[in-house]
Order: sequence, then structure tokens, then C-alpha cells
Amino acid sequence: MIFFQFAQRSIRLHFLRSLLAVLGIVIGVVAISSMGILGNSLVLSVSESLSDVGDTIVVFPHAGMGSGMGTGRVNDVITERQIQQISRAVGANDIIPLHIGADRIEVGGETGVATIYGMYTDDIPLLLDKTDGIYLRGTGGAMAGKRLVSDFDLKVGSRVSVGDATLRVVGLLDERGVGFDINPDGALIVSERWYSAVYDEDDFDQVIIKVRDINDIDAVKNAIEMQLNKRDTVVDVFDTRMILEMIITTFNSISTFTTAIGGISLLVAGVSIFNVQMMSVTERIKEIGIIRSIGTRRYEVMRMFLYEAFLLGFAGSAIGGVLSFAGGYLALIVMLEGNTSFLFEPSSLIYIPYGMLFGIGTSLMSGVYPAWKAANLNPIEALRYE
Amino acid sequence: MMPVIRLEDVSKVYPLPFGDVVALDHVTLDVEKGEFIAIMGPSGSGKSTLLNMIGCLDVPTSGNLFIAGRSVREMDDDELTDLRRDTIGFIFQTFNLIPLLTVRENVEYPLVLKERRRDTWGRSEELMAKVGLEESLAPHKPSELSGGQQQRVAIARALVNNPAILLCDEPTGNLDTKTGTVIMDLLTGVNHQGMTIIMVTHDPRIAEYASRTITIVDGKIA
Repeated sequence: MIFFQFAQRSIRLHFLRSLLAVLGIVIGVVAISSMGILGNSLVLSVSESLSDVGDTIVVFPHAGMGSGMGTGRVNDVITERQIQQISRAVGANDIIPLHIGADRIEVGGETGVATIYGMYTDDIPLLLDKTDGIYLRGTGGAMAGKRLVSDFDLKVGSRVSVGDATLRVVGLLDERGVGFDINPDGALIVSERWYSAVYDEDDFDQVIIKVRDINDIDAVKNAIEMQLNKRDTVVDVFDTRMILEMIITTFNSISTFTTAIGGISLLVAGVSIFNVQMMSVTERIKEIGIIRSIGTRRYEVMRMFLYEAFLLGFAGSAIGGVLSFAGGYLALIVMLEGNTSFLFEPSSLIYIPYGMLFGIGTSLMSGVYPAWKAANLNPIEALRYE
Repeated sequence: MMPVIRLEDVSKVYPLPFGDVVALDHVTLDVEKGEFIAIMGPSGSGKSTLLNMIGCLDVPTSGNLFIAGRSVREMDDDELTDLRRDTIGFIFQTFNLIPLLTVRENVEYPLVLKERRRDTWGRSEELMAKVGLEESLAPHKPSELSGGQQQRVAIARALVNNPAILLCDEPTGNLDTKTGTVIMDLLTGVNHQGMTIIMVTHDPRIAEYASRTITIVDGKIA
């Protein structure tokens, strides 16, 4: 179409300034796409390192509350009575009370600090997977987390000194990653009886509930709240799904924020397109007068200038789209310490067409006013313009 | 039969802060098909306003204006634009070719606007030949042509949609005498084929080509 040719030739005639406007769009598109890819990769990377699937409810003593109600204890704990209340509230779902502490350990002369989880031995298979050995049964054994195994070179049968006592490793745990309930990778799992005997501790630090039907999560949470928090808030109840969502939401917000920062450069590019288009209209007032006088409608003049803005935006977006791969790659190398595996995820790559669409959209929007101005020039005055 | 152009008591008033300016003052004029009219008058007398009015670039403040039997007073901008495209051909003193387009594209342009497609049936070439433009000039840009050649392109462009009226604003004003004569001969030839021509000029020798001369003074036909 002849108006498209007008646009092409006008761009060619003012190649340098058009190139600069295109460059602005390229930078904007690369910024938006790269930031989008980076943000999404961050979300993916965080999601991957979080192991929970969302079927878990975690009950903590309410922060700052002297649990045990009037026992005068300073530490926040969950008492045996509260465990029974939780048990009544959750019905048939599995309830796993935990002691949590930390202690010095020694293996063959090598010392370190490990988290110690005290659990009823029947509960261990519900929560943890083993790679070697057997699940803990008696009181004299322990299971070791993956990091501990590699740090201290532990094997089934190894002896670990914990404080003054010695435990034999009966099983090695599979790697679990960061969890919201427990983090056993750097921990020793011991029996509840051993823990309460050694540390003289009857109350628990945390209770995990594994909900069999994920749809019951809210109902179970409410039941616990109703049982324990009727008068005062005694415990805090979280479900991992909620925590997961919160974290993902936070990272998504960060992602949106960084993409928005990229958007600022696109805004600047839009101003540049606007400027170029205004110059184009001003330089061509006489020409607009001519074409209007010989029968070109207003909307056709408008189309002519919008094509021009579109072509600039399209060229910038196409080049920007290609360069976004490189931009995203660089951003991941810098921010995710070289882990570029998330670059080719569809949810990351989608930011490239998004960025391109924004690039074209910005150009078109920036071109609307100049095009409108051109279309609405008075043909007589435009013809007289020198 | 209605004249091809009819002005009935047409006035054009431009409201300005220091008072209204009456550019055309109750002008009544009929132009029959095939007439060649020269409009003369001093600067600021209203010649250009009259030409703009007939060219549908402007509408009267009062009175009625009929172009090819249609009243333009109530037309919206699109209708006026279409009337210019289909019924009127413009020839300007400064040629006013479109610098981005080649010679052939300039000639073809109004046809593309009207037909919504490129000229594939040779109308542009036919007109270029008619106005004496060599085919080899077709791919050139207007800036590469002489004044006389540019005005020939403008005439070919004005004729491409076979309009009922040709409006010429000082068509020889930017040309030497010899080239001016060639252009006037061309316009006379077109007029002899039945085209109505309205021409604004300062030059009495050019006005002699016309079959009727109208003189405008202070917005009125003298």
C-alpha cells in the first residue's frame, strides 16, 4: 500500500535519526525482556529449591507467648496437652510433634554443630526418605542428613558423639532442600525418648501435620485455630502452601519491579519516537497539505504516520527480541551465578514476545499524537507552509 | 442542466481578534461545463479564497456552493476530501509534487486513493505521454526534474482521475515564458477536450488563454 511506502521512504530519508529511535526501542525491549527473564528465573530457582508440595501444616508456639499457660516458662513451647488438642482437631490426619535443638557433635575427632530433631520413631517415615540403612527404631540410634553425611563422611554404623552421649547412625537421609517444616540436611534425627531424656525436655517446639487430602488444608487449619486459639493466640498455624505462595508472590513482585525498571527505558524510547515523529510531521507539513488537497482523507494521513511509528517499533522490537536472549543470559550469569538453565523455560522465554509487544505498543502510542496532529492540519494552511 | 460550478451569494468571513475579515462578499457565479475561466485581481482581493472554496478546501460562511451538482455546505471532511479526489484536479504555482514519490507514483497517487489499488492498466503512462513526459523520467524523484517537467507531472496527476474541474493557481508563475507557453498550450488542449478550467493568474497574457475573465476586487466580482 502506498502509505506504507511513504513510511518506509520517510524512514530511509532520515536514516540516522530513525536508527537512533530504533536503538532506544532495542534497549527498552532488551531491558524489559532480560529483567522479565531474570525475575522469572529467580522465581523458578526459588521454587525448585523449596521441597514442600503444600500438604503440610506447621504449628509453632505463638511468638512471645509464655506457653504452658502460667507455668512461668520463658521458652515458647507446645505442651503435651496442646498436642492432644491438636490431635483432636486434625482427626485422621498424621500429626508429628518435634523437639528441635542444636548441639556439638564429634565424629572421629572432627567436631561441628548440628541441628538435632527429636521425633517419635513411627513418624520418621512419614516425613523423611532414606537412601541407606534402616529407619530409626530404638533409642540409641540416629539418622543423618545428607550434608552431615558428606561433611563428616558418615556411613551406616558410624558413631557420632552428641554432647556427652554417643549415637550410632542407622540410616542416611535423602537430600530434602530447604523446607518450611524441617531442614534435615544438616541435622541428626533422634528418637523422642532419647531427646527428652538427654535434654530433659518434655514439651515440643513444633508440630507438623500431614494432611491426606490437600483440599482439607483450610478446614484442618481452622479446626486447630478453633481448638487452641479460642481465647488467646497460643499457637501460630501456617500451611506450607500459604508460605510457598507468599514467597512466590514476593519474588513475583520483585520480578514485576525489575521489569518495570526495564519499562522506564522503554518509556524513554517512546519519548524518542514521539520526538522523531513530531519532527517528521513538522518537516512534512507542506507535503501533508498537498496530499490532503488532492484527496487524501484524514485517517489515511494518520495511517501513514502510524505506519512509520510501527516500522520503527517493529524494527527495534525485532532486534531487541533477538538481543534479549543475550541480555537474559548475561543477567542470569551475573545474578544466578552462572545458572542459565531457566533461560529456555517457556515461562522465561514468554518475556521476549512480551517485551517486543511492549516495544511495538510504545512506538504506536508515541506515534498517535503526531499522527493525529498531521491528520488534523488545515490543508490550506499546510499548503502555504514553507 | 445545472452548471458544473454554482456559487449562490457566497460569503467567506474569517473571524480575527481585531475584527472580522470578509474574504468573499456575496459572490454569485455560474461556470458551465467546458469553460476556461481566468480569475484576476490584486493581491488579497479574494482570488485564492474563491479558488479554495471551489476546490472544496474551504466551505462558505454563508450562501450555497454547488460542485458538479452537489451542495458542499453541509458536507463533512471525508465527503469534501472524496469530492476533491474524484471531481477536482489541482495545479499549483509551486507544482507541489510529493517529494517521497517518483514521477510515475506522483501521477498515479490520486488514482490509488480512488481505486484502492495500484495502476496496472497503464493510465499513468498514458497521461505522462499526453503531457509530453518521457517514459524514462518515470522512476525519477520530482527534485531531479526541471520546473516545466514538474508542472507536466502535476498536470498528469491532476488529470488521472478524469475530474470535471481543473483548478490552476498561477500555473506558469514559476516558469520561464517559453515553458509557460508550452504549459498553457497543454491546458488549452485539455480544455478543448471538454475539461472545465478555473485559473487564477496575475498575468494578462496568460489570462488571454481563457474564454472568460473574472476580476475580483475586495471579495466581490467587479
